[in-house]
Amino acid sequence: MEEVGAMTALAVAETKPGRTVIEAIGVSKLFGSSSGPVQALADISFSVGSGEFVTVVGPSGCGKSTLLQILAGLVPASSGTIVLDGQTIDGPRPDKVGVVFQDAWLLPWKTAIENIEFPLALRGVPTAERRARSQALLDLVGLGDSARRYPHELSGGMKQRVAIARGLVQEPSVLLMDEPFAALDEQTRTRMGAELLQIWERSGRTILFITHGLAEAIYLADVVLVMAANPGRIVERIPVTLPRPRTIDMIGSEAFGRLRNHIWHLISDRGPL
Amino acid sequence: MTLARKIAWRLLVTALCLGAWEGAYRLHMLSPIIFGSPSLILKAAATDGVTFLDALRVTLYEILVAISIAWVGGTALGVVAGMLRPLDRIASPFFGAMIAIPFVILYPILIAWLGIGPESKIVFGVLLGMFPIALNTMIGVQSIERGYASMAMAMGASRLQTVTWVMVPLALPAVISGLRLGTSLLIAGVILTEMLAATDGLGFWISYNRSLFNTGQVYLGILLALAVATLANLALGRLERRYGSWRARQQAAS
Amino acid sequence: MKPARREDWLVLAGRFGIVIVFALAWEVLGRMGKSDPELLPPLSKVLATLWQLLHDPDFMVDLRVTLVEIAAAFAIVAPLGLLIGFVVGENQRLYDVVNPTIQLMMATPKAIFLPIFIIAFGIGFTEKVVFSTMIGLFAVILAGIAAVHSVPQGLVTAARSFGVNRRQLYLQIYLPAMTPLIIGGLRLGLVFTIFGVLLSEMYAASNGVGHAFVAWGESYRMPELMAGVLLIVVITVALDEMMRLAEEHYGKWRKSAR
Repeated sequence: MEEVGAMTALAVAETKPGRTVIEAIGVSKLFGSSSGPVQALADISFSVGSGEFVTVVGPSGCGKSTLLQILAGLVPASSGTIVLDGQTIDGPRPDKVGVVFQDAWLLPWKTAIENIEFPLALRGVPTAERRARSQALLDLVGLGDSARRYPHELSGGMKQRVAIARGLVQEPSVLLMDEPFAALDEQTRTRMGAELLQIWERSGRTILFITHGLAEAIYLADVVLVMAANPGRIVERIPVTLPRPRTIDMIGSEAFGRLRNHIWHLISDRGPL
Repeated sequence: MTLARKIAWRLLVTALCLGAWEGAYRLHMLSPIIFGSPSLILKAAATDGVTFLDALRVTLYEILVAISIAWVGGTALGVVAGMLRPLDRIASPFFGAMIAIPFVILYPILIAWLGIGPESKIVFGVLLGMFPIALNTMIGVQSIERGYASMAMAMGASRLQTVTWVMVPLALPAVISGLRLGTSLLIAGVILTEMLAATDGLGFWISYNRSLFNTGQVYLGILLALAVATLANLALGRLERRYGSWRARQQAAS
Repeated sequence: MKPARREDWLVLAGRFGIVIVFALAWEVLGRMGKSDPELLPPLSKVLATLWQLLHDPDFMVDLRVTLVEIAAAFAIVAPLGLLIGFVVGENQRLYDVVNPTIQLMMATPKAIFLPIFIIAFGIGFTEKVVFSTMIGLFAVILAGIAAVHSVPQGLVTAARSFGVNRRQLYLQIYLPAMTPLIIGGLRLGLVFTIFGVLLSEMYAASNGVGHAFVAWGESYRMPELMAGVLLIVVITVALDEMMRLAEEHYGKWRKSAR
């Protein structure tokens, strides 16, 4: 049966042939607070290969969102380096990085397609071209007919799909996703996960996906990075060797269950100090 | 900051401001006629204090009568409007228009009908105060979710008990909010109309002294009027916080 | 759909009903009262008088004076109030200092400061404009602050993530997000400004519509008085309605929580 490989040491090796798209080296983040400095992240190092789907899972407060914000260039690291597709990250790099947040944050006064176009419009891309690219992405996420709809007319799942399309519109090297399905109900969440995998396969993007759901993390990923809190750090890098395409039934398989239990123990045993 | 420190800080700032005000007056830095000074106010209190206190009494009388009518009438109107479903849709454009209309222009009509005695002031105050009270009461009544009534009935509460112990507390925050707004407008309206045409009351005496350029008296009157308005606002604000804050939090969370 | 449509007709009928009942009552009560001077002229007489007033050069001068004062005051209130509101809204420290003061000002009956303005500026155009500017300003400042605060931080973060620069952030994210609240604030500011102008004209002035009302009231010229009041009511409601439509148009996307 499938073996679940688990390495206890931090490995900075590639598991897939192809170039490294994300390289994090010794990334740390300190926050000042009224009771002294707080170390949100301590010496985080990992790498992600081109086209990989990597999930990051960990307990609340382990700094996963902070890590994503640093990768996105929205927040500076206190020390360490991030290299994205050959480019050191020191500020928002929309050409390299697309971000999808827990809330879609669509501009409510623009239609779905206008929202997707928006980053291109900011860059001065001509109307016809940006319209075409946006429509193509809208088709990709399965909302081709909803181009003219406003966010308040869309369901939560639909809004997130528009947000995903918007994240992809500048053809970034990497798509970062910060618990994008957390606000959705369970059935929608499961469906969105399956659809995300389809989008991933169709577009060939590299995706880094943050979640606190263990099943979701395993189901989606090629590699799961398990984080612990206090300070935030990666405790294990687990390649997931379940076959693709993934099916919902796999969640009930023995291999899946063993993997899930393993991660659960990693997280709960190393819970907050 | 602890409460004691906060109060001490506020007193210090107030004392400094008063000192600066008096200083500016003594050093002739500002026009005394326009800006007055604390000492002028005290002098005015010494000479005309009694007159102003009498005037205050008249104004308070008008305000209290107006409040009694506006509060009772406004809440009753609001309850009725809240219970008749289509009524609020029918009335809403009119309510919207009420806010836009400068009610002050109705005052000459009131004077023609009622004279320049307290009656016209009271009626004007009621006019200004009743609509916010009615509107907010109506909203409060409508905001009572039906689930609460079902729950009460399931627990075996009688109709009277349900109304008293479930529905009134649910609607109360909005009602108090309306009372606070309405009363604030009402007080402003009474004082305003006293300034325009009256024989007595704070507004009248402020105006009268203005025409004589008695700056000290003018500021004294203004201070008394501000005191009345602020005290009423604070008292109702206190009430609003006590009975209402949970509702805002509940509605924000849902 | 049927029950909803029936209710719509009922509502429309109700509104018409209220207007018609009001007009009829006015007409009937007016004709009944025969006191001298006539305290409640019937609606028909008031409307006829209104028609005359609109052709009366003296009244039109007063009307023009009032409208110019309102326009002048609002021209200051709108940009200044919004600017102050934005600056205070953006800066947390400034907000903590300024906000309590403004809230206090809003709760006071600002009319009582009118005598001081008259002592300072005399009676005339300047005094009326300065006073009404003060009254209208606070409402617009509060609205400006609320508008800035209404832009969710997450929206700004998301925009930064796809690379907006400062100018784009303000013009293409903040501005559209704030527009409905800005219009709402200007609407309220206009209401206060109009109130300030009319009040100061009624209190002490030599021209303007408010002054005319007081003069008519004192000489018991009820038809003119009521005609003038009706005119002002119509004008203010029309202005407010226009702004309300604009507010609704730019706020269409606010229908649901996000």
